[in-house]
Amino acid sequence: MNYFLNLVTSGLVIGSLYGLVAMGFAIVYRATGMVNFAQGEVMMLIAYISFSLATIPGIGFGPLLVCVLAVSVLLGLAIERVFIRPMLGEPMFSRVMVTIGLAVVIRSVVILVWGVEPTAFPRPFGNAVIRFAGLALYPGQIFALVSLAVLCVLMWLFFSRSRIGIAMRATSNNETTALLMGINVKRISGIAWALSAVFAAFAGLAFCLMFSLEPEISQMGLRGFPATILGGLDSVIGGALGGLVIGVFENLAGGYLGRGLKEIAGFVLIIVVLMVKPYGLFGQREIERV
Amino acid sequence: MRSRTYQVSYAGLVSLSTQPATWWWSFAGLALLALAPAWFGSHGLNMLTTIFVVSIGVLGLNLLSGVAGQISLGHAGFLLIGAYAQAILTTDYRIPTLLAIPMAGGVAAVASLVVGVPSLRLKGLYLAITTLAFTFIVRHVVLFAEEVTRGSAGMPVEALSVLGVSFKGDQRFYYAALAMLVLFVFITLNLMRTRIGRAWLALRDHDIAARAMGIDLMRYKLLAFMVSAFYTGVAGAMVALQTRFVNVDTFSVLISIEALAMIIVGGMGRVHGAILGAALILLLPELLNLGFDAAGDGVRTLMADRIYEIKGLMYGVVILLFLRLEPEGLAGIWRKSKRFWVQWPLSQ
Repeated sequence: MNYFLNLVTSGLVIGSLYGLVAMGFAIVYRATGMVNFAQGEVMMLIAYISFSLATIPGIGFGPLLVCVLAVSVLLGLAIERVFIRPMLGEPMFSRVMVTIGLAVVIRSVVILVWGVEPTAFPRPFGNAVIRFAGLALYPGQIFALVSLAVLCVLMWLFFSRSRIGIAMRATSNNETTALLMGINVKRISGIAWALSAVFAAFAGLAFCLMFSLEPEISQMGLRGFPATILGGLDSVIGGALGGLVIGVFENLAGGYLGRGLKEIAGFVLIIVVLMVKPYGLFGQREIERV
Repeated sequence: MRSRTYQVSYAGLVSLSTQPATWWWSFAGLALLALAPAWFGSHGLNMLTTIFVVSIGVLGLNLLSGVAGQISLGHAGFLLIGAYAQAILTTDYRIPTLLAIPMAGGVAAVASLVVGVPSLRLKGLYLAITTLAFTFIVRHVVLFAEEVTRGSAGMPVEALSVLGVSFKGDQRFYYAALAMLVLFVFITLNLMRTRIGRAWLALRDHDIAARAMGIDLMRYKLLAFMVSAFYTGVAGAMVALQTRFVNVDTFSVLISIEALAMIIVGGMGRVHGAILGAALILLLPELLNLGFDAAGDGVRTLMADRIYEIKGLMYGVVILLFLRLEPEGLAGIWRKSKRFWVQWPLSQ
């Protein structure tokens, strides 16, 4: 039973990372109808920038977090403005390929600048195990779980209460109508990219606090896909739930079935799920006219 | 002025080539390629062989993504299956190497049903991600089915031999690869002008409309996946025969992205585009080497340990530039420049 509980807990922790990645995918999909294949690389870039910021002597975790968030918002806006907006109106295939090209470029630049060796990231909360109700968690793991929970609540409020969030929902529903209703569609797309970069920042920080700073971070983008699909590409909160489910499922498969199944359990699960529900668990069915 | 648009019969519209001159140019080009071993050293010849082999796989991906409109990030998986099928069939089952090549393609085609069947209900990005999942799963299965595949150690591959004639050595294998590419170009060109090819085009442009016109979506989507996987499986077998060794690490997810870059750079849905794109992307690192030679030893030693990243950077920048500036790719540039010269001095 203890073994089971441990598997579930560490599954939830890794799942919250997947969830953060999936929410980043979903918010871009919701606002612009495309998948950002560079999400993992944006996460990697922000993690490396925050490492450089963290080496400034005397910087506390609070100021660091503020700086990192500012950087990620600027980065998201810049990517949208330079690479994504000029592609508006192009076929989906080209728009998605732009993000794939961007992913390759960012990964290469980061490795060229910061090198390929893993580096230990500073641990602002120390490295002591925190025991809570019979479970042992590291501070980095708690950071991941708490960020996912807080961001989920904020996103729910954002989409249901705030003016911009509702405008974003309108845009994803019908871009032309939203434009006619006076919504600035271009600004909405910029905000979506900035928000997705913020999710990437939290995911990147959580990854660094749990493991170390390494180029493998960019792999989290691909590994976050099952969560995104399970939750439905267009559902932000669904992505968070999908992440937790995939994380636990992977850990249980790895723990009880073994043979490295952990690595692919998520992918097998989504192939099965998509055969039954082609738009994920929480995704909306697209209705199209000929 | 030549005109290619005036046709008086249906047969004329779907014929392989409207101009006899096209045939002569093709033969002249082929003759030049056949004489290439006389000029190129072993490195250049190997490069050309790689371009031919990769082009076969890219032609397959082009049929699926460019012609039938189904985005795939899973072709690294098919390539891997083809290469391992070739290695296992010739080593463990003693099947003649030439016979094993189409069998490797067949194995990949059967495996493609694993992605093809879920794809029947999926579209666009959901499909792309499912195919990505397929690559991960295939790599994993190959790594862990050690009894059959030798796991992470990889396995050696027998050289190609046809009816007792061995194709060992760069020069001989060059001709084998060239012959294979010509065969597949011919098959593709013919496939595109049949009912199947046109059905795929309709499916790409609007699948629901295509269904209303009487095209069986399920059949043609699965067929597109199987044919595309067959091509890529054959390319995988040829890769195995060229390198004489297969290993999972050679076939990372990046291969799928490189292949997509090739069809974008070349021009979506065009046969000559696929080959031009493969050639350009594969020759980029060579250009880089030339640049380093020009810059001198200092720069070369400085950049030597970063070569992989610089290559990645170049791929990415080339993809971005083509998407922004020339979405039709090299095939589009070719078409425009040809029109310019044909209509000169009236061209605009």
